[in-house]
Amino acid sequence: MHDICVIGSGAGAGPVIYELSKAGYKVVVLEKGPWIKTEDFTKDEMTATRRDAYIPRHEDEPQVIESPTSSGYKARSTDEGGSDFQNGSCVGGSSNFMSAYFHRLKPKDFRLLSEYGPINGANVVDWPISYDEMEPYYTKVESEVGVSGKVVEHKHLEPRSTPDFPYPPLNSNAVADWFVKAGSELGYNIIPAARGIISTPKKDRKACYHSNYCGSFGCASDAKGSSRAALIPQAVETGNCEILPNSKVFKLETNENGKVIKAHFYNQTGVAQEVEAKIFVVACQAIETSRLLLMSKSEQFPNGLANNSGQVGKNMIFAGGGAGSGILKYDDLSEEDAKALANKNTFVNRCLKDFYEIDDPTFEPCSTSEKGKVKGGTIDFLIEHSNPMPKAVRNKYDNGTLLYGSALKEKLITYFTDQKRVRFEIFCDWLPNDNCFVSLDKEVKDKWGDPVAKVRTGFHNRDIEIGNYLADKAMNVLKQMGAYEIGKSVTGNPPGNLIAGGCRFGNDPKTSVLNKDCRAHEVENLYVTDGSFMPTGGSAPHTFTIYANSFRVAEKIKEHISKI
Amino acid sequence: MNKLKYIRKEVSIPDTFQNIDNWEVDRRKFLRATLLAGAATQISWFTSCSRQLEQANDYLTAEQSTILKDILMIIFPEDGNGPSANDINSFGYILWVLSDNYRKPEDNEYIMEGINWANETSIEIYDQPFIELSKEEQEKMVELFTEMEWGKNWMSVMVTLVLESLLLDPIYGGNTDEKGWQWLDHVAGVPRPTEETRFESFIHKYKPGQI
Repeated sequence: MHDICVIGSGAGAGPVIYELSKAGYKVVVLEKGPWIKTEDFTKDEMTATRRDAYIPRHEDEPQVIESPTSSGYKARSTDEGGSDFQNGSCVGGSSNFMSAYFHRLKPKDFRLLSEYGPINGANVVDWPISYDEMEPYYTKVESEVGVSGKVVEHKHLEPRSTPDFPYPPLNSNAVADWFVKAGSELGYNIIPAARGIISTPKKDRKACYHSNYCGSFGCASDAKGSSRAALIPQAVETGNCEILPNSKVFKLETNENGKVIKAHFYNQTGVAQEVEAKIFVVACQAIETSRLLLMSKSEQFPNGLANNSGQVGKNMIFAGGGAGSGILKYDDLSEEDAKALANKNTFVNRCLKDFYEIDDPTFEPCSTSEKGKVKGGTIDFLIEHSNPMPKAVRNKYDNGTLLYGSALKEKLITYFTDQKRVRFEIFCDWLPNDNCFVSLDKEVKDKWGDPVAKVRTGFHNRDIEIGNYLADKAMNVLKQMGAYEIGKSVTGNPPGNLIAGGCRFGNDPKTSVLNKDCRAHEVENLYVTDGSFMPTGGSAPHTFTIYANSFRVAEKIKEHISKI
Repeated sequence: MNKLKYIRKEVSIPDTFQNIDNWEVDRRKFLRATLLAGAATQISWFTSCSRQLEQANDYLTAEQSTILKDILMIIFPEDGNGPSANDINSFGYILWVLSDNYRKPEDNEYIMEGINWANETSIEIYDQPFIELSKEEQEKMVELFTEMEWGKNWMSVMVTLVLESLLLDPIYGGNTDEKGWQWLDHVAGVPRPTEETRFESFIHKYKPGQI
C-alpha cells in the first residue's frame, strides 16, 4: 500500500508530490494524460493550438456547458464545438501551458466579506485562514517553483517575508517603459509584474530564452514553472514517487467507516485497475475534481464522496474581468522607437494595481456599498502573442464581412508589418453565486461510459461593472500612448483556463466541503489541493495561490500521516 | 438565357438558391444529391474539359482537385502583394489536412461537400462545371457563396485553411520556403517541429491509436 495517492499532477498536486516524496513517504500519482518530455514541446501551432493535442479530444471527453442566455440557461456539449474547460491533460497539467502571471493575493482577499460587506446574490465569505498563514508558502513557491520579477512599493503591496523575488526580472520589450510613462502621466503607478518563469538557471532547468511562444505552449527550456518541470523530477529522484500517466481515475472507494481505501482507474488500454493508499489527494483541476467526487457514490455518501452537505460542485468560480487592446503604428514613432517596438520580444511584464480596491464615489457600486468601497482588481499589460494564427484569424472579417482575395491579403500585411497590437487583461473576482456550479450530466458520457461534468456558468453583474471600470482605466493608458482602435471586451463568459471553487474550504461543514487544512470535513483521509478549495478567487490568476496552498497543505498532510 | 443576371447582388436569390438554402437544413441529404449529380456529369467533364485537370489523389478526384485549386487562388490570388495560394502550396496543405484522421471525419467530408456543392451550383447557374467558368465567373460564384449561409460557413473554413497554409510550419506542406513567414515578417518560435516531433509523431508517441 502506498502512503499517498495523488490524483492529478498539476499545480495543485505538484507541491504535495514533491514535499511528501522528499519527506520519505511513498507517493503514487495517477495522471489522466501522458507524460510529455521537454524535448517534445515545440513551438508548433499545429500541435499546440490548431489540433489541441495537449487536451483530450472533445468527442472522447466532452463537458456540458450551461451558459446564461436571455431565455435562460442553454446547455451544449463541447463535442458540438465552442469553448471548453480542458487545459492540459498531461503530467504537470495546465501548469505546462500557463502564461505564469504570478500575483499574490492581498490580505483583504482572505476576508472579502468582512472588508467589503455582503453583496446581494453573491455567496461571499471570508477564508478560514489569513494571508499571514499563506505568506510563507508564497515565498516557498517563489524559490522552489521559481518566480522572477522585482518588488516595488505601491499602495496595495502585500506584506512579504523577503525583500524581493529570487530571480531577476525577465527581459521585456521597450513598450514596457511606454506603459509606465503613460501611466505616470495619468497618475497611475504601473509596476513590474512577476512571472512564474526563471530568468537564471535552476538545477536542470535552463533560463527563459524568450521564445515568445509562452502561453498555450509547453516550455522547451523548462524555465516556466510547471509542476512537471519544477517539482516532479525532484520527487521522482527520491525513489519514493511513482508516476502513472494515462491513468484516468473514475471512482474513489470508501469502506464502512467512510474512509477512502482505493482509487479505481482506467489504464491506457481501458482496463480498470486500482491502487490503495493511506491518504488520497485529489487535484484534477476544479471541474474534474468535483466530478470525481460526485461520481464516487457509496452507501455512506449517496450523493457523492464528501457530499452529504450537498456542497460539492457548488460555488464554482472563474476569473472575472476581460481584456482589451489598441494598435500602435510604426509610422507614428521615431525610427528608433519603431525598431524597438518591432522587436520580437513580446514580454511586457507590467501591471497596474492602483484599483485593487475602488473607493471612487462616482462609481455606483461604491456609492451603494455600506463600506463606501468595493473590491477592484489587477490590470496586466502585454503585447499580442507571437504565434501568428490567432493574429491572422482575427483579420478574416471586416465589419462582419468575410474577407478573401486581395482585401484579405492587404489586411494581413498591414496588421503584421505596420503596427503592433498592445493588450491588457483584467482580473477581478468572479463572485460565487448559486448559478455557477458543477453537476453530473444525465445523458452525455465520456469514452469510458461515465457521466461527464455539466458546468453552469452563471455570473454576477458586479463582475461586469468592476471589469468595465478597470478596463476603462486600462484604455486610458492605451489612449495616452497614442494607440488606435482601442477596445475592450468585458463579458460574463468565463475564461476556459482559470477555474476554481466547487469544494470550498471553511469552518462550517454545512457550508463547505473542506476544512481549513483542505481535508474533507466528512472524510478523514481525503484532501483536495487544486483550486477547488477557493471560496473566492481574488483578483489575479489563481495558479500562484494554488501552488502556495498546496505547499501549505503538504505540511498538514505530513503532520497527519506521521500519526497514522 | 444569360444566368449572370441572377447572381448580381441587387437581384434577389433565384429559386435555385432558395432551394439550396432549403437543402442546408439537411446537409447530408444535399450531399447525397450532389454526389449523384456529380457522378452523372463526370464523364462529360473529362471529355469536354479544355483545361488541364489536376492529377487525382487519394482524397480528391481530378476535377475536385481543380475546383479546389481554382477556389484557393481566388481566396489568395496572385496579385503582386505577397505569395499566392499556389506559391504557398495551399492545395498540398489541404491534402495533408484531408489525410489527418485525428480530425473528425465529418470535418474533412465538409471540405469535400463544399467542393461538390460549388460545382453543382455552377451547373445550376451556368450549365457548366465550375472549372469551365471564366475567372470572372468563378469569382462571382465565390462571391455568391459568401452571401449564402452554408456557403459563407464553408468559405470561412477554407479561408482558415489557407491561413494555416500561409503560417503554419512548412513541415505540413504549406508555407513553401517559409514564404508566408517572410512576407509577414514573422519570426518562427523555436524549437520548430521535426519529423520526430511533428503533430502525427506526437500523437503516435503520446496518444497511440488516436491517429
